[in-house]
Amino acid sequence: MAASGGSAAADTEVPATRARQRPTLPRPGTGTLVRAAVIAALLLFVLFALPQLMSLYYVDAMTQVAVWSMAALGLGVLVGRVGLVSLGQVAVLAIGAWVAARLLFATAQPYPLVLLEAGLITMLLGTLIGLPALRLRGLYLALITLMLAGALTVVLATTNFPNGGPGFLGYNGSQVHIPPIRRPSIAASDPAYFRYAVVVAVLMFLLVFAHIRTRPGRAWAAVRQSEPAALAAGINTWFYKLWAFALASFITGVAGGVLAGANHYLYSLNFPTYYSITLLAVVLMGGAYSLWGAVIAGLLWALLPSLLQNWGVSADWLTILFGVGVLQVLTTAPRGLADQVPKDLARLGRAARGLARKRAPSESSAG
Amino acid sequence: MPSWQDFEPFIVSGLALGGVYALSGVGMVVLYQATGVVYLAFGAVGAMGALIAWSLINAHAPGWVGWLVCVAFAALVTLAYGMVFGPALAKRDPLVKAVATLGLTLVLFGLMDLLWTTSGGQSRAITLPTDNGGFMIGQIQVTWTQVISLALGIVITVVTVVFLRLTKLGTAMRAMANDREITATLGVPVRRVEAAAWLGCGILAGLAGVLLADLVALDATTLTFLVISSLAAALIARLRSITITFAAAIVIGLVHDLLTPIQSLSNYRDATPFVLAAIALLALSSGGGQVLTRSREEA
Amino acid sequence: MREHTSGVRAVVGLVAIMGILAAAGCSSGSTTSNGGGGTPAATSTPGASAVSTSQCGTKPGAAATGTPIPLGAIATNQPGTSFTDIPNMAAAYFACVNANGGINGHPVKLYIETEQTNPAQIAADAKQLVQSDHVVGIVGNTSLLECTIDHTYWEKLGYFIIDSGIAPECYSTSNSAAVNMGPRYSSDGAVQYALAQHVSKIVFDQSNVPGTGYIAAGPAALANNAHVPITQLTENVPISDANSVAIKEVDDAGPNGAVVLNFTPPEALIILQAAQKLGLEDRVKLWGCSTPCNTDFLATSLGPKWNHKLFVNAELTPPDTTSTQSMKLYEAILKQYGSAVSGGIGSFSQMGFAEAEIMTHALESVTGAYTVASVNAAIKAVQGFNTGMVCQGWTYGSYPMHIPNNMDYTVTPDNGKMVTAQGCTLISAVDPQIKAYRSVAGTAAMAP
Repeated sequence: MAASGGSAAADTEVPATRARQRPTLPRPGTGTLVRAAVIAALLLFVLFALPQLMSLYYVDAMTQVAVWSMAALGLGVLVGRVGLVSLGQVAVLAIGAWVAARLLFATAQPYPLVLLEAGLITMLLGTLIGLPALRLRGLYLALITLMLAGALTVVLATTNFPNGGPGFLGYNGSQVHIPPIRRPSIAASDPAYFRYAVVVAVLMFLLVFAHIRTRPGRAWAAVRQSEPAALAAGINTWFYKLWAFALASFITGVAGGVLAGANHYLYSLNFPTYYSITLLAVVLMGGAYSLWGAVIAGLLWALLPSLLQNWGVSADWLTILFGVGVLQVLTTAPRGLADQVPKDLARLGRAARGLARKRAPSESSAG
Repeated sequence: MPSWQDFEPFIVSGLALGGVYALSGVGMVVLYQATGVVYLAFGAVGAMGALIAWSLINAHAPGWVGWLVCVAFAALVTLAYGMVFGPALAKRDPLVKAVATLGLTLVLFGLMDLLWTTSGGQSRAITLPTDNGGFMIGQIQVTWTQVISLALGIVITVVTVVFLRLTKLGTAMRAMANDREITATLGVPVRRVEAAAWLGCGILAGLAGVLLADLVALDATTLTFLVISSLAAALIARLRSITITFAAAIVIGLVHDLLTPIQSLSNYRDATPFVLAAIALLALSSGGGQVLTRSREEA
Repeated sequence: MREHTSGVRAVVGLVAIMGILAAAGCSSGSTTSNGGGGTPAATSTPGASAVSTSQCGTKPGAAATGTPIPLGAIATNQPGTSFTDIPNMAAAYFACVNANGGINGHPVKLYIETEQTNPAQIAADAKQLVQSDHVVGIVGNTSLLECTIDHTYWEKLGYFIIDSGIAPECYSTSNSAAVNMGPRYSSDGAVQYALAQHVSKIVFDQSNVPGTGYIAAGPAALANNAHVPITQLTENVPISDANSVAIKEVDDAGPNGAVVLNFTPPEALIILQAAQKLGLEDRVKLWGCSTPCNTDFLATSLGPKWNHKLFVNAELTPPDTTSTQSMKLYEAILKQYGSAVSGGIGSFSQMGFAEAEIMTHALESVTGAYTVASVNAAIKAVQGFNTGMVCQGWTYGSYPMHIPNNMDYTVTPDNGKMVTAQGCTLISAVDPQIKAYRSVAGTAAMAP
């Protein structure tokens, strides 16, 4: 997916002459079809075979991987596609989880509807914040998102998450038995909910994929290359940046809804401000540019700690690893956060082709 | 609404808190002025230095040895980081340079929890000899440590402003923060100037570490992420003016504590730094970020 | 490119060197015991004869070699909050038992899962213990959230937990019984003592962690019953500005009032030290604290100004002033097998000791195979067991809720040590939960 996305990066708005020639979406070649088939096979395996093979401990961990992949996806859209760094994505996740929990307790709506509503409300809030925030650039934008996340964390510490109580906040602090947040009726057990979470995650990835392949994707690529040039080419950069904010907030809001059902209980101490910093670290390590990077980020965030716990290794080593990873990623990507991966993949592709040629010397043209 | 008398003691404690924020805020703006890096690991290096000092004091080393090692450790780590990652990231966005310091923060944070394990009912505390004396303002006692921290903040502000404007080394630092390449071609010993800037910031971080460990808490999480609140003061000054950073920090501290007796807002007072920074940046800005690339110096 | 990679390697090397130096420099510092550095036995009563640890088992000196009996524990372990000392002490007790005959020749194996207050992780840990480790009993759970998250799972599978409770469900559900009192009943004890000193107002301040409303309800009931006004406050932790907290509390309590705290030791220490630095410690009639403050470390750190000024609820028998067989055995096991218990002598290791004691007692009564059913039936049958660590005999029983430890001591700092200010006192039944428990448990819940 990353390599084909890279070819779209150079496009800007299609001039009138070319518009007559071909449709804007390229016809899928054999490479793309093979890739799609592999992904489909992988998906089938994950959905049907994996829950049978894993213990419940790992099923629970993989459900978290699905949730946090979505959060990483949202952040990746901002960081990798548009070049906007947000240091407050975990606060957005908390908002999504809050809204979903409130709706699940207050209404009897079906789960998909609740997820959609959580995503939309979070998207609305994200856009509202994006409106003034996008007047800032680069470092200031990143730091303002950190400030807003910090403020939200303090508010959440006092308002808490809904737990079946009354009123707008839905929090009753005196309960001796706290009711759990419900799950969809078709996905009450842990393996079933894992499948549900994976399906939702796949939908979110498809949503982003659709964006990348169409006009917003090209506009984002242009903005990331050079905002003045994009402006000069007539792209409404502010609008597309806001769109990215809205999309990232929507996806993260939906992820929050899935998290609410996965965890059954939500606490403000599960969304500390510095988690947003660590999330950025894993997104950078996984690769902010590629969609696979979001999956890797999710695995780093949610699966690796469970593995380490089983091997008796302290979770602190993971924090150290993430720190080293950030330094490594940033220093070895000289042209920018988003450019290194396609370059590396291209280099990898060249190396692989070179290797293939070496293996079949009789086929290469003689000197 | 509480009476004036209810507010009075919080003015004193608010000033003390403002002094705490000012130490880190001014330290970060100082380095930003000199190298263009927002050193988000400021709190973490100070915290680790303070923990090392605690370990030494716990092993019966004299207090001053502990403080010295703390400052030396912070200076060394900051210098090492600056020397390795300064040149490596010099051409990059300030954003990238700031995110890179987050990498260092995570490494130190993980190390601190590994080496100084949280165990059950234990807690660590640092006391300075200046904790035991003080004077009364109204009903409240003010310790010499609080006075020192506030004074240190003022001194650092004044000294840095003077230094950056009037000395040769300071001017060289400002030039480098503006454009490293051109400054190098002009014959300024770039690496040495850079080293001086990082070293200075590291020493500040170490001093702040000791004082904050005494004034706030000797806890890795608290001290490492206190920098986020101090950053608010720096942001209000757009990372440009050291004097405004200091003033903003004092205001944040005052507002935070003055909200305490107001029942409806008291629980939300910890959001004060963030809300004030957000207001300053969002409501009062007018195409703010553009100036980031060139004119960074203004003390 | 070469410069970059060598630079990264250099910084990683530098950080590693820093870490090693720091580790070398502080290896002595990170394991401070309660008494302020030194071996755990340093605080035992002078002249106490060394008790042989072999008393923990039934066949002294005979190592157990049969099939192991697997047990499980879940404990919070994250930066700032670590309860691993409790299951680690339980494991030390079991190590002693295993070295002295085991349970009818079977060694006990304790699987300890740690968690970072992540609900999904806590649920996963429970499943790991049951499905992968096949534990037949749960002992030593100490977690901010575990009782809330896992109690339906344990109820479904028939596990009866012996834990050190914190969350409401540790005390309000059928499958959990704690050796400690937990924040609510411990705060009750502190408030009760303050009320007994005829204060005119109570300010109850606690850390803003899950369950504050539940915790506050106990002190509120007690204060209302005594017609003493009570102010409920919460603080976000970790506290970054203790000065404003201390001023607020003192102002509200007034000169004839009491400030009662419910915080973890580091946070409580910061507040009290801030009060002292501000010169406020004498501005209220007395200060109170729930049981986490009950450490000699706190007494030493606070200094003489707090002698007989701070009154701390102690839910466990004070080790310094007790020299019963149980206490000596506890200190001996801690010394011989308790290398993983970093806190040394103190309430955490006492809880671990008591829980393992109870479990061992239950296991020893099992005839036949050690299954989930047989082991948990034996746990439920524990009645009036003398742990040596609490005021009353400890009872599990088949009740819809459990508060088996509902009598407390009150201790106060005295020149660097915690001394008893009041002996075993029943927590008042004005607290509706206590009243409910005593009505179902009957005499089992009362004074011995």
